[in-house]
Amino acid sequence: MKSGLWIFLAAFISVGGSWLGLVYGPVHQLGGAEQTTVLNSTDTYPLQRTGDATLGLQIYRANGCAACHTEQVRQTGVACSVMLTDAGKTPEAVTNLISSLTLTNLIKEDADKIADKIAAAGGKAEIHMLATGPDIARGWGMRQSVAEDYLYDLPVQLGSLRAGPDLANIGVRDPDANWQLTHLYAPSAVVKGSAMPPFRYLFELHKIGDMPARDALQFPKDFALPAGYEVVPTSEAKQLAAYLLSLRANAPLYSAPISP
Amino acid sequence: MIDEPNSETRENPGAEPGAAGSGLLMGMIILTLLLMFLGAVYFDRHSGWFNKQVYGPYASTSQLEEYQPKSGAAAAAAHGKQVYDTVCGICHGFDGLGKPGLAPALASSEWVITKGSDRLIRIPLSGLSGPMQVNGKDWSLAMAPMGAALSDTDLAAVLTYIRSSWGNQAGEVTAESVKSVRTTLGARPQPLTGGQLKSMPE
Repeated sequence: MKSGLWIFLAAFISVGGSWLGLVYGPVHQLGGAEQTTVLNSTDTYPLQRTGDATLGLQIYRANGCAACHTEQVRQTGVACSVMLTDAGKTPEAVTNLISSLTLTNLIKEDADKIADKIAAAGGKAEIHMLATGPDIARGWGMRQSVAEDYLYDLPVQLGSLRAGPDLANIGVRDPDANWQLTHLYAPSAVVKGSAMPPFRYLFELHKIGDMPARDALQFPKDFALPAGYEVVPTSEAKQLAAYLLSLRANAPLYSAPISP
Repeated sequence: MIDEPNSETRENPGAEPGAAGSGLLMGMIILTLLLMFLGAVYFDRHSGWFNKQVYGPYASTSQLEEYQPKSGAAAAAAHGKQVYDTVCGICHGFDGLGKPGLAPALASSEWVITKGSDRLIRIPLSGLSGPMQVNGKDWSLAMAPMGAALSDTDLAAVLTYIRSSWGNQAGEVTAESVKSVRTTLGARPQPLTGGQLKSMPE
């Protein structure tokens, strides 16, 4: 073993280098992530989930939702548009000016220049910035996901396969708890052609007693339950729905600035 | 054809095989260094050197800074509109024209376009009750202290928005003046009547 030292060094460098890059680097970069404030506001983001929603994350995990759903919105670019808010005292001059300019789909530098031109002509303009990208075009979010969005997820349910839609903003897109629960009980009842398996074991099918249960599901008209029966969510289903409704990653942040 | 054993092994059968003298090793080292250099260039151009705030399409902190919505008056107006739409607009109308039977108009209201802002600040902080004249029309409704729960900056932003929208052209409301009015009003102010409000300084 006359090259024992070299073999040790080579092993040390390759293991240590991987540790640096895969463990130390990410922890150093994002390990200290903490709550931040929403842009141009004093609101804190993100807020800790409610107890039900925190438990719901474990139901989400236990049922393998992350196998088919992601929680990450990707963004490929930014499009700025200039909006006239006040034509000022010489509206003709301002309208003539803007009719000769492109006002949408700009980079920030050009948008600033146009806003300055409008200000010089006596009008007032606002610059709106919208995130662009395939995920955003699908309506899955207003901006890309950033580290802060996952601050209270343990473990983070990023997901890598999209058999179903992305859920990073499902609480914004479908804020109705009854819709979420109905969809879990019978996906195809509310989404035509849904490939999602029903999670009926999270619900109980009861015979209606003296009066219907307070939290029985309200189904769409064309969905037929056996006559005289009702579907009541178990606490697991309610926790899962609370978790889904808590997925609202749409606040404008410093690291993901948007101004729609 | 079987490879001939190299000269070293033939001369000294006990020796370990070595890689010394092979030109390939130097090439590998150069290639690795080149790849590391290209990787570093990529990070420099695309991630603001591991900055935790910088995510893709933004390439650096300076670019991210450039894309922040403008601070100052424009941002305050945008924020003020957001607060107005969630807190005030439901009754006073998103166009500031009020709703009959609910709330009077804010556009060109004599209570809004005052010279000073202190009297206006009192309205959302303490609420209103009883008869009140707004632009010659009699109103007799109660308004809850809708602004008491808002922060000084939020209330200042929304009042600035009200005073500078729908044709109103009164001056800015600062967070400092909201703070000072809030202090003079105390913890649980009683709802004001129109007469009381009129007697207060603008």
